[in-house]
Amino acid sequence: MRRPIKVIIAKLGLDIHWRGAVVVAKFLKDVGMEVIYLGNQFPEQIVNAALQESADVVALSTLGGNHLTLGPKVVKLLRDKGLNDVLVIMGGVIPPGDIAALKSQGFHEIFTPHSSLKDIADFIREGVYGRAGPRKA
Amino acid sequence: MLVALSADDKEGMCDMAKGSFLFHREAIKRIKSSERRWKEEYLPPEAKGPEETYFTFSGIPIKCLYTPADGGEFDYLRDLGFPGAEPFTRGIHPTMYRGRPFTIRQLAGFGGPEDCNKRLKFLLKQGATGINIVFDLPTIRGYSSEDPEAEGNVGQCGVTIDSIDDMHALFNGIPIDTISVSLVTHLPSVTTILLAMYLVMARERGIQWETLAGTTQNDFLMETTIGSAPEVMPPQDSFRLQCDVIEFVAGRLPRWNPISYNGYNLREAGTNAVQEVAVAISNGIHTTEELMKRGLDIDAFAPRLSFFWDLCNDFFEEIAKCRASRRVWYKIMKEGFGAKRQRSMWMRFHVQTSGVSLTAIEPLNNIARSTIQGLAGVFGGAQSLHIDSYDEAYSVPTEMAALVSLRTQQIIQAETNVTSVIDPLGGSYYVENLTDQMEHKIYEYMEQIRSVGGLIKAVDTGWLHKEIADEAYKYQKATEDGENKIVGVNYYPSDEVQRPIEVFTYPDTEQRQKAKLRELRGKRDNARVRETLEELRRKCTSGENIMPHVMESVRERATIGEIADIYREAFGLWTFPLF
Repeated sequence: MRRPIKVIIAKLGLDIHWRGAVVVAKFLKDVGMEVIYLGNQFPEQIVNAALQESADVVALSTLGGNHLTLGPKVVKLLRDKGLNDVLVIMGGVIPPGDIAALKSQGFHEIFTPHSSLKDIADFIREGVYGRAGPRKA
Repeated sequence: MLVALSADDKEGMCDMAKGSFLFHREAIKRIKSSERRWKEEYLPPEAKGPEETYFTFSGIPIKCLYTPADGGEFDYLRDLGFPGAEPFTRGIHPTMYRGRPFTIRQLAGFGGPEDCNKRLKFLLKQGATGINIVFDLPTIRGYSSEDPEAEGNVGQCGVTIDSIDDMHALFNGIPIDTISVSLVTHLPSVTTILLAMYLVMARERGIQWETLAGTTQNDFLMETTIGSAPEVMPPQDSFRLQCDVIEFVAGRLPRWNPISYNGYNLREAGTNAVQEVAVAISNGIHTTEELMKRGLDIDAFAPRLSFFWDLCNDFFEEIAKCRASRRVWYKIMKEGFGAKRQRSMWMRFHVQTSGVSLTAIEPLNNIARSTIQGLAGVFGGAQSLHIDSYDEAYSVPTEMAALVSLRTQQIIQAETNVTSVIDPLGGSYYVENLTDQMEHKIYEYMEQIRSVGGLIKAVDTGWLHKEIADEAYKYQKATEDGENKIVGVNYYPSDEVQRPIEVFTYPDTEQRQKAKLRELRGKRDNARVRETLEELRRKCTSGENIMPHVMESVRERATIGEIADIYREAFGLWTFPLF
């Protein structure tokens, strides 16, 4: 049996808008993933949690304009700690021009206000199982 | 009106003689039976099914048609009355927009105070009649630009304020003794600091406090429920600071609203219209109880309590919500608390159109959405209005997008004639029925809050967070199921390649602010700053009103981060009970 996909969801830094992050968290849990909602955290704490929890996915949420400054830091710290398999995604209000920049710095996908919950869940499943193959319990 | 009852009517008067019931009972009976016949004879079979298939956004079932028979025991003088008179359903001023047009109060805030000052002057030059400042996240959460927590957020989504010198720069050349200024300070803790900076700044400019008109948000739910953060003050302490600000303002700043009970952000976080009003009003009740406990006369502070509502897409529900909220507040203040001054019973509110309802796809469609929402606020009798800009789903508005919002307000105000008649939808069978239903639902939800131990308990246990999150989740699912139609997204989805949109680019602010802070430390009396901060720390636990002591620190050029650090140490941190 596959063990459930483990997702860490964090609000990035000081961003106050929790609605999207919590809605996504509830949905991923409803479709059988294990979700750890960290609340607001800075890159170091997020990466430490990913390490401790052996997370498959780190999902960051920000609508506060810090995506380009704090976002890439999370990816870099993950790689520094050898967490190369972790799928890193972001959701929020991200200007279209910044999406390519984030992807080039290691984000696997950026979800914007019209992304559906199902698309997010599908992307995670495909990313985790597609890359590493089915995981054993 | 065919069935209107005049006091001289001889027939069927009975118990109705004493009231001002709009409709004759016999006539209502006749209308009801006619309505039944109309359904039988005129409606096609598919329209004859159960009525309860259409709902307002908050879940109130709606009929396809309303008639006088839906008014029930509707009593004109008791339920509506006249504008400027009890129960204020039709408006708080006797002349409403003829005497005082709604204030055009567009939000502005980005970059450093010098950058934002330019935007303020631009908006005023184009005809804005009030100022509405939004601050960046470090400022809102009590960090200075040099604090590590602030990294990446300085001057983003709002203007940054580190010290009173920045407050001077923000309002440089702006006549704050004649124009009203709303400071969207979110948290009570930060309100104590920013209001102190504003007041000391005014003194240093030689402006009398009596002339200062404006609003601070100062809502403890912003700290503990609506906006999440890494470091959060416990609800009880945040509530105490909220009340400290109101107590301090009472008697000192006759034209200042020390609080704006923030229904808007509750709604944007997920609640429906009923919960939005019920939660905000519950906070109003708790505040009133606390301040009366402190020995204040209700009529000394209640006239300056103000509210802030969201305008979403359900046009009539928003109008009914605004009207119902006035009647609820009136009853609570008059009958519940025994207020004597009519001003204490006035529900005065600012409205903003809904950011959540705007789309990134085909962004110009947002102009149509916001216009309709803004119109609902005007029909609802709002005191001031902000219309969101079409590029909201991308970033803070460009100058052009901000101008379109401002112009939309001016078009509503000057070109459509809608402001010439007071409460023009008053008497609509549907709007009156919905206003009544909203009122009842608001009371019901307030009762639910009471039943879980009151608002502070509801926050402390995470009950309120769960309520909001559940509602947000329900909404998202309904959108994905196509039940909520969003044009261009799930209804006639846009198939065009995304057109380029000009997106606002932020000025580089962090380095500039850091340089200013280094300079500040070089010229202020650092020992004196420390002394005032230590005094402030003692007052945090003594229970005295905190405001005079914050002003001392601010005057000595303490930074926002230094003062908020004292709070964090003195009050401790609380875990945000989300998910």
